[in-house]
Amino acid sequence: MPPAESAAAPAVEFAIQKRRVRFLGLTLDECIKLFFGGNAVVSIVVLTLITYFLFREGAGFFGQNRVNLQVYRQAGLEYVDYLRRQADDHTALTRYLADVRLRTVQHHTRTSGKSLEEANAALTEFDVYVERYSAAIDPLRTMVGELSEVASAIKTKFIVNEDKKEERRQLLAEGKMAEAARVAIDRVDFEAELRPIRAGFPAYRTLNRELSSTLTQLAGNIPALPVPELQQRMERFAVLSREYVGTFPEIERSLESWDHNAPISASQAFSSFLFGRQWLTASFWQDWYGIIPLLIGSLLVSLVALALAVPLGVGAAIYVNQIATPLEQKLIKPCIEFISAIPSVVLGFFGIAVLGQLLRNLSQSPALAWVPGFPYSERLNILTAGCLLALIAVPTIFTLAEDALNNVPRAFKEASFALGASRLQTTMRIIVPASLSGIISAVLLGLGRVIGETMVVLLCAGNRIAIPDFTQGFAFIVEPVHTMTGIIAQEMGEVVRGSIHYRALFVVGLVLFLLSLLINFGAQKIVRRYRISVG
Amino acid sequence: MEPPAATSPGPAGPASLRRPATAPGATAPTQAGAVPTTHPVIDIENLDFYYGASQALHDISLSIDHHRVTAFIGPSGCGKSTLLRCLNRMNDLIDGTRVGRGRIRVHGVDINQPDVDVIELRKRVGMVFQKSNPFPKSIYENITYGLRLQGVKDKARLDEVVERSLRGAALWEEVKDRLHESGLGLSGGQQQRLCIARAIAVEPEVILMDEPCSALDPVATAKVEELIQDLRSKYCIVIVTHNMQQAARCSDRTAFFYLGRLIEYADTRDIFTNPANPQTEAYVSGRFG
Ligand SMILES: Nc1ncnc2c1ncn2[C@@H]1O[C@H](COP(=O)(O)OP(=O)(O)OP(=O)(O)O)[C@@H](O)[C@H]1O
Ligand SMILES: [Mg+2]
Repeated sequence: MPPAESAAAPAVEFAIQKRRVRFLGLTLDECIKLFFGGNAVVSIVVLTLITYFLFREGAGFFGQNRVNLQVYRQAGLEYVDYLRRQADDHTALTRYLADVRLRTVQHHTRTSGKSLEEANAALTEFDVYVERYSAAIDPLRTMVGELSEVASAIKTKFIVNEDKKEERRQLLAEGKMAEAARVAIDRVDFEAELRPIRAGFPAYRTLNRELSSTLTQLAGNIPALPVPELQQRMERFAVLSREYVGTFPEIERSLESWDHNAPISASQAFSSFLFGRQWLTASFWQDWYGIIPLLIGSLLVSLVALALAVPLGVGAAIYVNQIATPLEQKLIKPCIEFISAIPSVVLGFFGIAVLGQLLRNLSQSPALAWVPGFPYSERLNILTAGCLLALIAVPTIFTLAEDALNNVPRAFKEASFALGASRLQTTMRIIVPASLSGIISAVLLGLGRVIGETMVVLLCAGNRIAIPDFTQGFAFIVEPVHTMTGIIAQEMGEVVRGSIHYRALFVVGLVLFLLSLLINFGAQKIVRRYRISVG
Repeated sequence: MEPPAATSPGPAGPASLRRPATAPGATAPTQAGAVPTTHPVIDIENLDFYYGASQALHDISLSIDHHRVTAFIGPSGCGKSTLLRCLNRMNDLIDGTRVGRGRIRVHGVDINQPDVDVIELRKRVGMVFQKSNPFPKSIYENITYGLRLQGVKDKARLDEVVERSLRGAALWEEVKDRLHESGLGLSGGQQQRLCIARAIAVEPEVILMDEPCSALDPVATAKVEELIQDLRSKYCIVIVTHNMQQAARCSDRTAFFYLGRLIEYADTRDIFTNPANPQTEAYVSGRFG
């Protein structure tokens, strides 16, 4: 018997070894390890690659932008823009007058009960004044028009030359020496080209003096208006007008000292992006890549979204965690989490088709006239996009805040009840403060989620690239804006690869990336501190 | 007599039974002769208690006296905590719990009636938990929490209560310079005394303590026990403990539970020296569980 047993034992062991599965010489365990390890490595590699790619594509932008700004200066566009700005400031004043006229007409028709004709007739004197005021700028406008053409021509010449250089470079690279030599390249002599522009300076001076005296005279003779309130507006106008005239000498000085060869520093290329208030592409005159309007757009939409989502999400979390019956919990939780399953394009669609219209109709109801900015006519704006984004942020905030509330040790709750606290007191004085950092980090992560959201803002924010007008208080929330995510999605498909516009979009993406990173980092920091404080 | 049972009440005798020693009776009325006169505060009659479908307490009847320390002892899972938590209705916080047959009366009022204000009840019947659980707030705020809930805002009154409660919990000297630091920064024993101070700050009549010393070292335990002796003159104290010596040292009456039933309830000295029930004897002498 013993010998038979000892003989059987190794045979069994042998059989086990034979059955062991091997793929490419690896055991199953090793395969599993490789699979999961591989996944982890892949995600790290992908993240690194994306970061690297963003930086590489974006970095070229600043060099190109420097050239862009250099040409703007060398071709005299900058010079012409001094004059153009002067003319535009005047237009703003004319618009102010038009506004006062509108108010006066309203006063006549509503308060004094005159007909429209009578109201207009009463304003003849005013209209003559406006006429004189706006006509005063005509000579400057003409001059701007002429100089613009010259400057544009210089710029075009330069660009054509650059294109030719590029062509020759390509030919050389292909080894076609003969063809390359045949590509004729003129050197652009900016000094000479700019001469006609500079030659206009004495004429500008005389023109300016005339303009200045006309406006000063007009500012001293404002027409009388029927009500003190309107009269005050006109006096304000006179002040503005004088201030405007006061800027003329400064403009002249800038023009005189203007040097087309003054170099553009690297920091200017940088700051014109980071602090630039204009994002203007594919224009006939000059392209500007300033991120401020997009950044402000993104932030405003996100803040409006958070203002709505935080009370909703945190409130729902508190309710579900502290007050709801188990049945309610079972019902509410999946419902809120289900919101995050709605594709954002569907939400955007809903925003355009339903919510935008609904909000606009609401805004026109007299009962809501006290809301800043109401009534409004732009269907797609910060408010519409913010409402929809709030819907996207609510599940994130809700889930994370609920977790944070859940993590508050049960002992705190019991201690509070044992001291005679009501449910509400326990929630507000113990549970919420103890989970506050968790809730804050939930809100931050919601912000991160919202700021990166693309489809909804692209469809519903109105896509007007402009910094909203903050002078009217909260009325800005019904203005259309464009966002960082929206602009990338909208323009990336149309730009030429490697062009300055293309690279500018990458830098916008980079800013977005860094912003999200910062928000996530902040959230993690807060959570970590929270753990320590409770543990 | 087994050595543990014989020796354990030995040192405790003078401490816990000092006053009744003049009239060594077995029943409450005889103890009324003690300096703080006593009367039953809590009356439990034929109590059944259920966690969902499973019954945790069977037909419990006992009455708890004022100015006395009553100890609940018994093997793990026998229902001591459950009974204790019934006394201020902390079990309401657990879903699916219910009192079946029976009644608990505090000062004659059935606390399980729907018209009873649980908040008011819990103000009168305070609780100290097994694991110290100060709020993540300052020491000062921990102690004033209960009063603030009641709307007390007067700074002078709060200050006074903080000092009185901390002195009452024998913690004042240790923390008087750091009242505004976090309560979580105290040692385990200090935290437990802080919780006791927090409980007495609202001036309850009854203090329920669920294994208050189980996480403490002998020195801290001694302090808490001393404290319990001091508190006895003012409060009615119920303490759950696994430590036989502790029960013998600092309680006047002891109830022994087993499998959700009250096996024996008598003067502590009798439980430890002369138990009527063989199960009790086996348990207190350590031959059991
Ligand atoms: N939340 C609960 N849900 C269901 N059953 C519970 C719950 N809490 C306690 N029980 C049960 O009730 C019985 C009594 O438990 P209890 O906690 O009162 O025991 P105990 O005497 O305090 O024990 P220990 O000395 O270990 O603290 C046990 O059988 C336990 O399993
Ligand atoms: Mg227990």
